[in-house]
Amino acid sequence: MSTEPVTDDERKQNRYHFDRHTPEYREQFTQVTAEMLDKCPVAWSDTYGGHWVAAGHSEVFELARSADYLSNDHDPANERRGYKGISIPSPEVAFRGGFLEMDPPEQRYYRQLLNPYLSPAAVARWAPLVDEIVRASLNEKIETGRIDFVDDLANIVPAVLTLGMLGIPLEHWDIYVEPIHASVYTPPNSPDMPRLQASRLAMRDDMMGQLSSIRASGRPGLIHALATAEINGTVPPDFELLGIISLLIGGGFDTTTALTAHALEWLSEHPDQRERLSAERDTLLNPATEEFLRYFTPAPGDGRTISADCELAGQQFKEGERIWLSWAMSNRDPEVFPNPNEVDLARTGNRHHSFGLGIHRCIGSNVARMVFKRMVTAVLDRMPDYVCDPAGAEHYQTIGIIQGMKHLPATFTPGPRIGDGLNETIARMQVLVDQERLADPVTVRKGAADAT
Amino acid sequence: MKVQVDPERCQGHTLCSMIAPALFTLNDEDGHSTAVDGEVPADLEAKAAEAIRSCPEQAIAVIP
Repeated sequence: MSTEPVTDDERKQNRYHFDRHTPEYREQFTQVTAEMLDKCPVAWSDTYGGHWVAAGHSEVFELARSADYLSNDHDPANERRGYKGISIPSPEVAFRGGFLEMDPPEQRYYRQLLNPYLSPAAVARWAPLVDEIVRASLNEKIETGRIDFVDDLANIVPAVLTLGMLGIPLEHWDIYVEPIHASVYTPPNSPDMPRLQASRLAMRDDMMGQLSSIRASGRPGLIHALATAEINGTVPPDFELLGIISLLIGGGFDTTTALTAHALEWLSEHPDQRERLSAERDTLLNPATEEFLRYFTPAPGDGRTISADCELAGQQFKEGERIWLSWAMSNRDPEVFPNPNEVDLARTGNRHHSFGLGIHRCIGSNVARMVFKRMVTAVLDRMPDYVCDPAGAEHYQTIGIIQGMKHLPATFTPGPRIGDGLNETIARMQVLVDQERLADPVTVRKGAADAT
Repeated sequence: MKVQVDPERCQGHTLCSMIAPALFTLNDEDGHSTAVDGEVPADLEAKAAEAIRSCPEQAIAVIP
């Protein structure tokens, strides 16, 4: 391959004004995506100080898996090269967002530490608890014939489960749920900002309290792993650990909520497909889940920094340049997905990018799939004729960070409660978590099983 | 036909075992996949092909 020196203008001849933080991008997503895929699968955009945007499936595939040339590092103190992590633009108050803003080998140490809490085998142990929280959440609304699928179900279950896996008391879920969701959809100039800031501080206080209490008590869970970790021979400072806990909470809450809300809304609009999914769930639930992930891509992309001059995906890059890898747009590439703008519940060959690719593959992907499937099937069973109210459905105005929903009200034929309500169930589940030590890593279980 | 998973490429997306649980085992600790030894039974060849096609990292290959 020739590496003749070229001017910046030559390198950046594929240009596209790309601003994913505007409401217009959400409204015109299908057209923008088709245009970029067709004309410039990798383009230079002048927005946010200038950055590359990768939209094509094969281009994103190659770039995301080139960790030697694309860095996730976020270095606000300028101790290394001052890179700006995965957000474009970089947030004003900068702190490192856990191992998603690290490069190997440091990133790998954390992944190896936490994988045994989040692997398919580890996650399977939580399924009975998830079913109980789902059942109880639906109980709270089942007799009324009205529910908001975001507020009353999809916000609650991922939050309770995530706290359980972290080792935080389940009943604290409401300290966390509001600030996490509202942080994503509240614009900086909103009049609601002071209230949001107060709830964020309360969450941060609780998080710091949990870190020190778990360090003392040894209560199992992801936080225990972090609180007692040595990373390459050194004990990480608490602010680094809080960044990781925030990453796990941020990743665990809003994304699964977003996926579930969008899928339930789509199924309401396509009642024949809803009946089909319910009837054929044994074979259809897995591919349908992947298809909802592809089509709605809750986390639409990640930023990176080019860490060395290189040519990748047919494009020359210079060290220090920023690049946005769009999972959402690459998921609509007709080269890989026939009829990409249609939902096909039985789609095959669904190599979507919704959990990212390469070494930074979403560490919670197994959790997300499990919770999503159990929430959706419970709704299909207990509220099979639900109808969402389009007038009350509220999507996030912008999809730059998460393609989510604030509200999704629906009506349905009322049914009977089954068992106890949410607060009683959460209290019972806390006992289960503690007695069964559900939040231990699989490695502990395995060790115990091997020893007997 | 036989299949194998490249451990350097697999990142634990788990689609292969979702599609063909009889052909792929997931590691307990990190969910990374390994193909079962031996010939793919004739009635699972289509599933094996679908797993290969669906792997987000393109980590699965047919070996002679």
